[in-house]
Amino acid sequence: MVKFDYHQEKKHLICKFSGRMDTNESLMIIEEVQNKIMELKQGKDDTSLLDEKIDFDMKESDFISSSFIRICLVVYKQTAEGKFSIRNCDPFLKKTFKIAGLDAMLKVS
Amino acid sequence: MTDELRKQADEILEKAIFAAAVFQQFEQDQTDRIVEKVFKAGFNSRLKLGRMACEETGLGIWQHKVMKNIIATQLVYESIKNEKTVGVISANDHTGIVEIAQPLGPVLAVIPVTNPTSTILYKTLICLKTRNPVIISAPRAAIQCCAETVRICYETALEAGAPEDCIQIIPAGSREFTQMIMAHPRVALILATGGTGLVNAAYSSGNPALGVGPGNVPVFIDVSADIPFAISNIISSKTFDNGTVCASEQSVIVEKQIEHSVIAEFEKQQCYFLSPGETRKVEHVAIDPDTGTMNPKVVGRPVSVIAELAGISVPEGTKILLAKLQGVGREYPLSYEILAPVLAFYSAKDYRDAIKLCIDLNYLGGIGHSAGIYANDEGRILEFSRIMNAGRIMVNTPTAQGAVGGIFNQLPTSLTLGCGTGGKNITTENITARHLINIQRVCRRKADVKYFSFDHSKYYDETLDADTIIREYNKNF
Repeated sequence: MVKFDYHQEKKHLICKFSGRMDTNESLMIIEEVQNKIMELKQGKDDTSLLDEKIDFDMKESDFISSSFIRICLVVYKQTAEGKFSIRNCDPFLKKTFKIAGLDAMLKVS
Repeated sequence: MTDELRKQADEILEKAIFAAAVFQQFEQDQTDRIVEKVFKAGFNSRLKLGRMACEETGLGIWQHKVMKNIIATQLVYESIKNEKTVGVISANDHTGIVEIAQPLGPVLAVIPVTNPTSTILYKTLICLKTRNPVIISAPRAAIQCCAETVRICYETALEAGAPEDCIQIIPAGSREFTQMIMAHPRVALILATGGTGLVNAAYSSGNPALGVGPGNVPVFIDVSADIPFAISNIISSKTFDNGTVCASEQSVIVEKQIEHSVIAEFEKQQCYFLSPGETRKVEHVAIDPDTGTMNPKVVGRPVSVIAELAGISVPEGTKILLAKLQGVGREYPLSYEILAPVLAFYSAKDYRDAIKLCIDLNYLGGIGHSAGIYANDEGRILEFSRIMNAGRIMVNTPTAQGAVGGIFNQLPTSLTLGCGTGGKNITTENITARHLINIQRVCRRKADVKYFSFDHSKYYDETLDADTIIREYNKNF
């Protein structure tokens, strides 16, 4: 069972995912992730995040689907350059992002 | 000029195609006799050709060039001598399929400056074994030693009864001429070993090509490894011919908990860790900052020459220069492939981080080539191997000598290492004789009883789904 948790410190949002982020689970959490981002935007629908930083913590996740990759891209597009990163990936997840050609852009570590 | 070149190319290929026509009439025993004679002639010239290659190119160590010649003759011969490459090579009574080997036709063999004589010996042997005439395209900087190698092989092959012009050499000429030959309609296959540009040109020629991708070999030393053994192996590999083997180690990755032991062992075994300032100086001479490619001036040169070029002082007898790096990529030039005794060194906080570093290095220009691990933990060996994108994963083995096969393992001995699609190659295998034959399959009628006993009208019944049909199809009574 997938678990989504988050932690926010001022302008820094950390989203923690655990379990397999397969297509269904990803679709289930996308709204929740978007809501958290909207809160970070302080309800301003028409602005992108500038100073705010978002991290996806993948420490407890061992599988991602293409839907989850799309979520990553959506979040990336809403943040300023260098303000979004995906961290604590296990080596297999790191390789998944590497093969997708996204590891540098999404600052995968 | 172009017309003149085209005429030359046509003449070379006409000779080659005549040789191919004659060669395809040979039987296995005739072919094997030629191969044995050429192997022996090449082997007996190992010292002379090794010295010539080293003196002419200025690269590497002559004794190691000799070793490469031995690998390319004795070990290659051992790995191919018993292979069937003519006529019926297998017959399976059960399947009713008989396999017949046919030669490909003229093979264009592109030779790298780093291993000129050995690559000619190896490619010539596998071509002769498969009755394919070979055209050697020699690098300008190694034309004399290449010509001598070809002369020895060709004269011996002729004496042994091989067809005229079964081995030819393209005179050192322009890139235009090489590309013209590559694209020539009479070329059956290009065996491309060399720099990325050259290999890409081979793939773009329109003719089939077996090329090699570049390497950037990461080597992970696990906490379960025997550290002195690992360091000694890495040194023997990275210093072999001054690091000119593309499968040689490019970076060493360790976990923090064994960092000091590994550094101490490297130092004990006469390797030198560069200071940050010295690292920058070596970066400047080793890698072109604009292209990210290695500087030919350091390729195959000993530490003393590289240190002098960089303007740094290192203890006499230093075997390898190591640079402690914090990252991978353009900002860290020494994280790229350098065919010289220079190694990048990484200390990661734990196993996971170490493996992630290996992924980054593996994907930095070395996809599909080779990787190495020193460990006695089978779980980690398997996990590392699954994660790396490498055709060859060397376990507790020097990667340079291990990847070519025959010395430390049972891989086919080869000086052309396939890198799979990641390296833009068609195979991850070590290229050998069996890649140089067309295999015909003669298929005897062995009718599928199930297929013919099944009521085919059921295929047209829309109410029957796959499960129902498969159940009926496989009914055993």
